[in-house]
Amino acid sequence: MQRRTKKAHYLGLLLHPSAIHSMIGRIMRREDLPYTSKLINLYIERGLLKTQPAISTIQGLLKTHFRCERCLNTQSEKFIHFHCAKCEQVCTYCRHCITMGRIASCTQLLTWAGPSPQHPKKHQFSWTSTLTELQQHASLELAASIQQKRQHLLHAVCGAGKTEILFQPIYNALQKGFRICVATPRTDVVLELAPRLQKVFPTTMIHVLYGGAPEQQSYAQLVIATTHQLYRFAKAFDVMIVDEADAFPYTFDESLQKAVYKAKKPDAPITFVTATPSSKLLKQRDGYSFLPRRYHNHPLPVPRFQSLWRYKRQFKKDKLPKQLRQWVEQRIEAKQPFLIFFPTIEMLEQALPLFSPNILGVHAEDPTRKEKILKLRNAEIQGLLTTTILERGITIANLQVAVVGAENPIFTASALIQIAGRVGRDEQYPTGDIIFFHHGISLEMDLAKQEIQRLNEVANE
Amino acid sequence: MNKEVTHCLLCERELQQVITWQTLFERSWPPVICERCEAKFERTHYTTEELTTIFYYNDAMKNFLRQYKFSQDIILAKVFRQELNKLLRNRSETIVPIPMNPLKKKERTFAHIDELLHAAEIPYEHLLEKTTTETQVGKSKLQRQQVAPLFSCTKELAAKHYILIDDIVTTGTTIAHAKKALLDAGAESVTAIVLIKG
Repeated sequence: MQRRTKKAHYLGLLLHPSAIHSMIGRIMRREDLPYTSKLINLYIERGLLKTQPAISTIQGLLKTHFRCERCLNTQSEKFIHFHCAKCEQVCTYCRHCITMGRIASCTQLLTWAGPSPQHPKKHQFSWTSTLTELQQHASLELAASIQQKRQHLLHAVCGAGKTEILFQPIYNALQKGFRICVATPRTDVVLELAPRLQKVFPTTMIHVLYGGAPEQQSYAQLVIATTHQLYRFAKAFDVMIVDEADAFPYTFDESLQKAVYKAKKPDAPITFVTATPSSKLLKQRDGYSFLPRRYHNHPLPVPRFQSLWRYKRQFKKDKLPKQLRQWVEQRIEAKQPFLIFFPTIEMLEQALPLFSPNILGVHAEDPTRKEKILKLRNAEIQGLLTTTILERGITIANLQVAVVGAENPIFTASALIQIAGRVGRDEQYPTGDIIFFHHGISLEMDLAKQEIQRLNEVANE
Repeated sequence: MNKEVTHCLLCERELQQVITWQTLFERSWPPVICERCEAKFERTHYTTEELTTIFYYNDAMKNFLRQYKFSQDIILAKVFRQELNKLLRNRSETIVPIPMNPLKKKERTFAHIDELLHAAEIPYEHLLEKTTTETQVGKSKLQRQQVAPLFSCTKELAAKHYILIDDIVTTGTTIAHAKKALLDAGAESVTAIVLIKG
């Protein structure tokens, strides 16, 4: 690398190393680079930057198919054709990843093709707690899989201490000078993971990427990102860890799954981490670790069902159903923080004014949701009404949980298991109430309860 | 741009087509945004002899404009096609969109007013030319009024009636300049229809 930059310097080509670092492993629009067209062209000529068209076309038998080279989307309804005033012909743009800056047929995408940087191999690992025997075992299995570049599924119940299991394998990989990505479909999980990892690796440069995150300069060996942000990367990572690998929208949006594979180097191993693996994940695994028991060895709280007949009509009439009101009153009296899950934003907004002003509501479009969750954690408010966005990654001591309208199809068995997994995570409060209010019991509710009971039995063996 | 839209263009929820007597009897397009998003736009009833506006500039409209003009999501031109079509169809007047500077148009890859009219299937004619590249954004009312003429007319006009179309009006300087250019070129009368009142 030294020699090359020296030569480049004579040609007036030298970019600051940090500028180059910010391009490595990225896939970028030409217009997003803050350099002159002349300089970019020189870099392309020298073979330091590789160009590719943003939208590729594949001629099918009957019609032309399109593919976005950034988000790998191929859904035809997401491609919009228009007469472009820039290139004066019909252009196609991708709506799927438009929030990252629109790319159309006439957009040029650039990737870094020059030398890759040397990673530091010395990292501080300041983690003093110990793992349980089960955790330790899983951690060793996972580290072995990564070493052998093998795909791995870490299947652990909610509250088994999945994140702690990752620490040692991540540390091993950092020491080998690997670039590592921990990706997850949920912004909330990113926000929960980032401070924990930074604490364990205090001297390691970590980038935290999610929609609306502050811009982070230069280069990080460890990246924590939402799966959406992986659209911006190509062949960047030596180790890929996908946390909550069954969460919406990852399983639902095929392009996110492709993004994970695009962002890692072709031979880099992937680790999937989840409490509720889909049958597809269970099938495609190579290595497999299973933890049916929580770290504090107490069983998972089993949900109870409570009928709440015609709750929709009652909310519409501005009435709080009696059983729900009593449940909330009991929580407030016992000073227990609680979450109430609603199937839709509309129902949540309908119900919110019926509760005391000390109870707030959060949903995906809420810009202040970080602050509201913090308020619940600090006991500034008693409870939160939420949609399924808080089904994962939230840990609050002594939390009690209710689901309103648990029979709604949005509450799949895995969503209900995750929601039930919010309860009793703390060692001091290993039990708690998880109640499904329903208007008729659905198959998914039954499945969730059976699975939780099965896991408890397996853990006892 | 003639594809069926199955999900709301603004929030990606699945669209449910509701059939009412109105949709049966009135010629109308299927909706491209959901009712929830539509309800967020606030209608004005501001009509004078010279100027008609349709919506207020609120948060929803701010987001809409940002996505349409700056994220260049051209398909959003369809969102207001029904309203524009209702106001502009079968007009005897000549419809004149406010033009963009050619360089700016190239940079944005499309002319946003033209696309709005195009989506609403309203025929239009370009009669004006922008003479400067500066925008009105960030100027005070006084500064806006004191600038040199913003537009010139491309040809001599017949003494007929004309309607100017723009996306947003705040102080009305743009419209006033365009109006003057048209009147100077021989127009008999000029009114304006603007989507958003700032």
